[in-house]
Amino acid sequence: MRASHHFAGAVFALALCTVTPAIVHADEDATPAAPESSFVTREQLEKALDGMNEQVQAMQTDVDKFKRLKFSGYIQARWETSENSRDSVKVSGNPYTVTSPNLNRFYIRRGRFKLTYDSSPLSQAVIYFDGGSDRTLRLLEAYVTLLDPWTPLHDHQLTIGQQNVPFGFEIERSSSVRELPERSKAENVLFSGERDRGVKLVDQWNTHLQTTLGLFNGGGINQTDFPNTDPTRGKDFLARARWSQGWFDAAASYYFGRNTTPLTGPDVETKKTRIGLDAQTFYELPSLGGGTLRGEVYFAHEVNPDSVKALINGGSAANPVRLLKPNVDPAHLATDARGYYAMWVQNVGDQFQGVVRYDAWDPNTDKDHDQFRRASLGVNYFYDGYTRITLTYDVIKTDALVSPGRYADPADNLWTLQVQHKW
Amino acid sequence: MKNLSIRLILIAVVALFIGVAHAGRPITIKGSDTMVILGQRWAEQYMNETPGQIIQVTGGGSGTGIAALINGTTDICAASRPMKPDEKLKLRDRFQTMGVEIPVAKDGLSVYLGEANVVKKLSLEQLKNIYLGTLTNWKQVGGKDATIVLYGRENSSGTYGFFKDNVLGGRDFSPRVQTLPGTAAVVNAVSKDPNGIGYGGAAYAKGVKDCAIAKDDKSPAILPTAVTVHDGTYPLWRYLFFYTRKKPAGDIKRFVDWTLSAKGQELATKVGYFPLK
Repeated sequence: MRASHHFAGAVFALALCTVTPAIVHADEDATPAAPESSFVTREQLEKALDGMNEQVQAMQTDVDKFKRLKFSGYIQARWETSENSRDSVKVSGNPYTVTSPNLNRFYIRRGRFKLTYDSSPLSQAVIYFDGGSDRTLRLLEAYVTLLDPWTPLHDHQLTIGQQNVPFGFEIERSSSVRELPERSKAENVLFSGERDRGVKLVDQWNTHLQTTLGLFNGGGINQTDFPNTDPTRGKDFLARARWSQGWFDAAASYYFGRNTTPLTGPDVETKKTRIGLDAQTFYELPSLGGGTLRGEVYFAHEVNPDSVKALINGGSAANPVRLLKPNVDPAHLATDARGYYAMWVQNVGDQFQGVVRYDAWDPNTDKDHDQFRRASLGVNYFYDGYTRITLTYDVIKTDALVSPGRYADPADNLWTLQVQHKW
Repeated sequence: MKNLSIRLILIAVVALFIGVAHAGRPITIKGSDTMVILGQRWAEQYMNETPGQIIQVTGGGSGTGIAALINGTTDICAASRPMKPDEKLKLRDRFQTMGVEIPVAKDGLSVYLGEANVVKKLSLEQLKNIYLGTLTNWKQVGGKDATIVLYGRENSSGTYGFFKDNVLGGRDFSPRVQTLPGTAAVVNAVSKDPNGIGYGGAAYAKGVKDCAIAKDDKSPAILPTAVTVHDGTYPLWRYLFFYTRKKPAGDIKRFVDWTLSAKGQELATKVGYFPLK
């Protein structure tokens, strides 16, 4: 905003410089025989001012167009060290196999920039890129939002394009404001990449109730064949209702679609159902500041990574064969999954924030030793209005098979130090 | 690894307490340009009465002040409009609080006309059509045959938002409106332009005349005065607010309480605003 003022001011000064000699020149042309004079008539001055005014109006129009464009973004530079860190990548066996990745590293987790253009009070376009972890610039979001013209606050909005899947609480919450560097494991698995292509309708019925309906391809942006195909063919449907009381918010989300498992012969289609419940409560401690307790539960029934164990892959590269194992009911490719997290955030003054979270994910409730559990502790230090330093420690518990029938928790706890700058 | 973990946790805990211990800095107030004069007068008098206390007052518009409250760069946001729902959500996202809204004074939103303009009154409907660009000539509202020149504020201004919501019914301003960075600039432009019209806080109306406003064609046109703003008969009045992130405490509470005291409210009246009671 301030930059645009400076820009307008500079152009105005330039216009003044160009118009002023023109006045003098016109004066000389009009009265060639008269002695030189540094005075100009009121009429001439008024004409010059009118001309300048027209120029300023034209510039104002251009500046107004620029002001409709918002450029924002953030960078998350990170250092991570894991319990099983090694100084170099180890290889072993014949042929050589990478056995232990280097988890003591600096890297850019997210490097994002967003352009928002408020074309008119009734429509908005957003394009959002990430050039973070894999150094490749990729499109995260690109969508158009149409706002209703019949309510002052535009309570009904239709968005079409590549966007966040509006399910639950943590998906739509920007990584730049989240208190811990990563979302819960359940969300990571169920909505990998958080985004998909589709359409959503958001209706704010009153100050408390908001509903969302959506129709999406269903694959998500991290799927390998995204965005060229829609392997499930049919579209996924979702609905969410959120009640917001200010100090207490709660929402229920429902997602329904189909998974297609391609086989040699007829493909197998299975149901994909996800139900989410989330709640957040907020409070204030006079001596410390605001705090929040929040939780979210995910129930899912869909194809999971274990499902591939029910398949036989054979044939040749030119003629691959993929079949269902004998005596496997195709309906069992989809299994019940559960996930949840509980979280506590407490501000300490204006610059510090403490965070505790416990999250769990069970991809197949009929199976043991596949569960993921994690306790996370974090401290945020808000260096200024734009920069935040985060230190977290994740205690991760999983079962790794160490010998037949024997499981142990691998040493994979993780320290993360992150510096984020957001503008 | 365990020893390293314990050390790092200790460092984090120590840093946390260092942060809590840091105190005694100046109170910062940022936001509404309409309230800059009021904030400065309050700050000056309060600092005179409270040696050692420093209060810094800056403008930029209500939207700018609210953004500063959200990103933690001001203690108090001065706003000439209420916070929007999405702004409250952003504040809650960062600080887990809803923000505290404190009405500190009332203000009449004046419609400024050049002193030579023969038009003395407008209905809200006429005013709306002028700023939507439907009425473009003064003779359409009883004036001389001249094009109406529109002056207004930038969209970060609370006055802009109040006018848009309460006069234009949420619709967008005519593209012919020349946006200016502050109320003083609007007053200055209208004072030099006999065909100009602008809007802003009543306290700024110097060198221009206030236009009387009627709720509709049948209602009398009312000028913004202490009486008409106080009793609500002048249709364009509003509260002026202070916003804080959490319940005011310590120095901030003492200052806010002082602005609400008889002394603070009297000073608001002297500056050209209207007291709460």
